[in-house]
Amino acid sequence: MNTISRRHFLKLIGASTAVAASPTLLNAQTGPARRVVVVGGGFAGATAAKYLRHWGGGGVAVTLVDANPAHVSCILSNLVLNNALSLSQITFNYAALQQKYGVTAVQGQATGISGGKLLLANGQSLSYDRLILAPGIDFDFGKIGVQDPANLLHAWKAGPQTTLLQQQLKAMPAGGKFVLTVPPAPYRCPPGPYERACLVADYLKKNKPGSKVIVLDANPKIIAEERTFTKAFNETHKGYVEYHPGVIVTAVNAGARTIAYSENGQQKTLRAGVLNVLPPQKAGKIAFDAGLVPAGQNWASIDPLSYESTLIPGIHVIGDAQGTGQPKSGHIANAEAKVCADAILRAFAGVAPDPAPTTNSACYSPITANTASWLTAVFAYDPNTLDPVTGKGVMKAVPESFGEAPAATQDNYEKMFDWAGNLFGDTFA
Amino acid sequence: MIPRPHCVASGLASLMLLVPLVGQTEPPPGRLLASQCAQCHGTDGRAVGDMERLAGKSAGELWEEMLEMKYSRDTGDIMHRQAKGYTEDQIRLIAQYYAGTSSGGGLDRSEKSGEHDDD
Repeated sequence: MNTISRRHFLKLIGASTAVAASPTLLNAQTGPARRVVVVGGGFAGATAAKYLRHWGGGGVAVTLVDANPAHVSCILSNLVLNNALSLSQITFNYAALQQKYGVTAVQGQATGISGGKLLLANGQSLSYDRLILAPGIDFDFGKIGVQDPANLLHAWKAGPQTTLLQQQLKAMPAGGKFVLTVPPAPYRCPPGPYERACLVADYLKKNKPGSKVIVLDANPKIIAEERTFTKAFNETHKGYVEYHPGVIVTAVNAGARTIAYSENGQQKTLRAGVLNVLPPQKAGKIAFDAGLVPAGQNWASIDPLSYESTLIPGIHVIGDAQGTGQPKSGHIANAEAKVCADAILRAFAGVAPDPAPTTNSACYSPITANTASWLTAVFAYDPNTLDPVTGKGVMKAVPESFGEAPAATQDNYEKMFDWAGNLFGDTFA
Repeated sequence: MIPRPHCVASGLASLMLLVPLVGQTEPPPGRLLASQCAQCHGTDGRAVGDMERLAGKSAGELWEEMLEMKYSRDTGDIMHRQAKGYTEDQIRLIAQYYAGTSSGGGLDRSEKSGEHDDD
């Protein structure tokens, strides 16, 4: 299993943490640098910070603010659950962005925006010409009646929760039920919950005979790679996955590991061996606090030509928190960040944004411990279809580019590490 | 052979005509489009691992490869899907952009325009 791709992937991880300091080649500039502050150092924020400097050189001063000293990637994090990877292998600090690209990384909690400044919990404030918010997702615990949110195990923001879920899975007695809920779309990583169900089923088959994954899906059917996951649930992991669509979760007691829900009009309850609840999702808190989410909506409204807010000029929102309808994933967050960075640099130069931006989504999903599938699409700006909320054009999937792998294969499993290794490098190194 | 609306030779001829003069303020043509390949092929096409390196490849080679995948009926390969997402004009810009990048170090902004290794 430790093949060439895997070695390259691991090598990249090593390389990204030991970057030699090399001064960025700066453009000759007259006048002071324009200031961009980026909040959130995930795939969207880190890419935006990097590319603003990569393309803008000394003409733009970039500060990247994140509450944590490093980002733990959700991408590949399901492979921590079956012990294929360790958390440290998917953790990325901001040393390369600082040393290679001259980004200023600040560890701090952004608390709000006031008078053209970003306020931090430690009392510091950062002035900006443009602000990029990449806060990712927040959870809506109330919608599913979570009684004790502090105990809830989602592992949908990778980090300590991922380790906790791995430990609970390991400790679950044979014959137990691993209950996984899928939130209503849109949510972070459309294939992710189904991928997790597959990997846990694969693990249970080998380590906990008689156990089962019970998937309670709020959606009427599998919403990503339907063919692949239907086959995986019914054939590859036959007897180890029970899939229930159209489920409405009504109450969760995370500590007691009990869940109440309705299915086909019938009220049911379950006691789980492991209760893994993915709550309904919305834009990160700062997007709401800053007034970037229209009333009654869950995501920030932006113009896809620049990712600038349609509500507050000068503030851009990228990644999972924005509401264009593009899939919420690290890969496409990276893609959006480049469109945003390019538009901001153009704006500083007095030039209009690229009128025809594209983004793309590509992701590999492990189906077993040594096979994977993929899902991909290219999105192109369509100026003639208007978003009902923003009145702006929309990003539309090019139909012929949209597709899933014909089958889950070992070759795809190896390619997954090449994909992730390059995506990690393009974002954090 | 795969049917194509343009033959490779005419495509290349138009590649040569599209070499831009990069101004002080306009970003180089194709830069944003080409950056959308970087998620899988590395920043400026300098891929790690077994992924294909795009940096410094000739525009002709990239153009030909992309068109072959774009018009292929095989949809079982992820790049065949991706290639179908771009117009020929976009593919031309991407090919031209990567041809102007060096296969070794970073992209040198000051020397980028006009230096293409079309073959």
